[in-house]
Amino acid sequence: MGKINADAMSIKVKLFGDLKSKIDHENTKTGPPAIITIENTGIERIEDVLEKLSIEQSEVSHIFVNHKYSGYKKTVRSGDTVAFFPVNMSLLYKWYYPKEND
Amino acid sequence: MPRRILRVNMSNLEAKFEDLPEEYTVLGGRGLTSTIIAKEVPPDCHPLGPSNKLVFAPGLVTGTRAPSCGRISVGGKSPLTGGIKEANAGTNFAHALAKLRIAAIIVEGQPEGDDYYLLKINKDGSEFINANKWVGKGLYGAYKEILKEFGDQNKISGVGITAEIGGTMSGVSFSDPEGMPSRYAGRGGLGAVMAKRGLKFILADDTDAPGVEIANQDVFSAGVKKLVNALATHDVTKPGGALSSFGTAVLVNIINEAGGLPQRNFSAGSDDRSANVSGESKAEMISNRGGVRPHACNTGCVIRCSEVWTKPKAKDPVGVLEYESVWSLGPNCGIYNLDDVGELNRACNDLGLDTIEAGNTLAVAMEGGLANWGDGKGALKLLEEIRKKSALGRIIANGTEFTGRALGVWRVPTVKGQALPAYDPRPIKGIGVTYATTPMGADHTAGYAIATEIMGVGGQADPADTNKAELSRNLQLATAAVDASGYCLFIAFAVLDIPEGLEGVVESINGVYGTNLTVADVAPIGQSIIDTELNFNKAAGFTKADDRLPEFLRTEKVAPTNEVFNVPDEEIDKVWGK
Repeated sequence: MGKINADAMSIKVKLFGDLKSKIDHENTKTGPPAIITIENTGIERIEDVLEKLSIEQSEVSHIFVNHKYSGYKKTVRSGDTVAFFPVNMSLLYKWYYPKEND
Repeated sequence: MPRRILRVNMSNLEAKFEDLPEEYTVLGGRGLTSTIIAKEVPPDCHPLGPSNKLVFAPGLVTGTRAPSCGRISVGGKSPLTGGIKEANAGTNFAHALAKLRIAAIIVEGQPEGDDYYLLKINKDGSEFINANKWVGKGLYGAYKEILKEFGDQNKISGVGITAEIGGTMSGVSFSDPEGMPSRYAGRGGLGAVMAKRGLKFILADDTDAPGVEIANQDVFSAGVKKLVNALATHDVTKPGGALSSFGTAVLVNIINEAGGLPQRNFSAGSDDRSANVSGESKAEMISNRGGVRPHACNTGCVIRCSEVWTKPKAKDPVGVLEYESVWSLGPNCGIYNLDDVGELNRACNDLGLDTIEAGNTLAVAMEGGLANWGDGKGALKLLEEIRKKSALGRIIANGTEFTGRALGVWRVPTVKGQALPAYDPRPIKGIGVTYATTPMGADHTAGYAIATEIMGVGGQADPADTNKAELSRNLQLATAAVDASGYCLFIAFAVLDIPEGLEGVVESINGVYGTNLTVADVAPIGQSIIDTELNFNKAAGFTKADDRLPEFLRTEKVAPTNEVFNVPDEEIDKVWGK
């Protein structure tokens, strides 16, 4: 077995708009996104990431995993980048996007 | 007094009111501009020549107290695409025309000589005034001088230097509530159509105007109430929602995450630096420097997605920096600095041109070696060549495709000669079908989101369905109907999720006109408008071969999704296939 890259054991999470306050209560909803790295222990799917960050599914609109429009059941792995947008940012042309939910 | 047409003959400087023909009674906005253009303009005419006409038409409910209804459509044969064109804007100019009971202004003819004119319209009639003193001047200064000379009760429409040189990226500008030239019916080069008629400005003064006649106040009020409730409760459109908090540029981060925010002339679909020019970053900067956010682009808008962007310490206000403008003048040119974007947007407004076409043109110019990616100052210099009316400026003023040819660039993102908006059609294939098939040339608003299932025009829309033709068609029909109503397209977010909101839209129109339309009539109204436009384009020489995306989008994979645009031609042709 080769050497395991420490970075590959984690998941990068980007929180936009109102969701920034979930990790930093001083943070305002304006400005750039909040970007954090979480350990992937116990995380299999998007719904697990949300639980770890204490974010309700009802608070989230668009979800992207590595730039793919995704649902709560989408599998996430070490090294993935996940982006969450709050409900009030649901501005996509939603029919144009197939949602991945493997 | 019923709604009227004001026919403006620039050949003999005569403006006369005409009765609105019976068949136009329940037409407004895009429905009216496209109908009049199809009836009165030969499809094979040269867009800059004497046979073309320019039509202004406020929407069906514009001028009333219905929410977010201050849209005006401008129509003509497009110098950019060679086809029919409707471009629309939100502005108090629209309300003023409607309150004066003007259903449409038809501008036709060409005066002899090189003089330009200003047309003043008020409750007593109209008057021509020589406008030569504003030729060659930027629109920010011109609008300021005009309001000082004629009074700030006037709402202005005008064209700038780009239109004076016949530039196909020239737009028709309208005053915002601050009197700045920041509201644009930008697309398709209609500014040049106006300038070639010798018309530089129109002033609309609705002081003591009769206002819009409401046939049935009860029906109208009930409809308005339903729509207001929908807009006030939906997460996107309510106060504190995405649009009022961040403006349309809230889409920057979303589309960047979707891998569909074109970077450096569509050579990538995402770049982390895009967050620097996002709606969230812009809102923070506006707050810090004393600009205005949120802001209504016209009286009665409850969504308030607009803003006033300024330099630090609230200096040199620009007006709104829309999502499309921020993208085209920003990431699409490798520029990730909002101050650079703001200066470029100010130059576009001042020169009287379409920001989407401008940003694409600059990106193609960068690819052609005229400036480096990310060079905001270099990009500004290129736009300023238009002000000088130099040979290079005249190339730039003619848009993306023309500039690409002049510079030998083959990666030119246009359909029917019009540059693509801010959604890469490779990862977002449905919108690519709309770019390909709308009669307008590549246009994002042509297929904006209204639920097909709510409209009942095509059953359930499954996002995974590969049947993109039906999806695109239904969205285009719904959009054409909204463009005729005078309502802002952004009401779609609310009426999409809240069915009573859509009922309110239809009932408000019934209230004004005494009609008995239902939600089921929306799609046929849209179909009728689009059929008129398609027939015009066919007579102008368009074929299926014009309904295609450029080769590089079909062959070049775009990171990070590594997609190409691979919707088959047969699927594209199904959109308008019988």
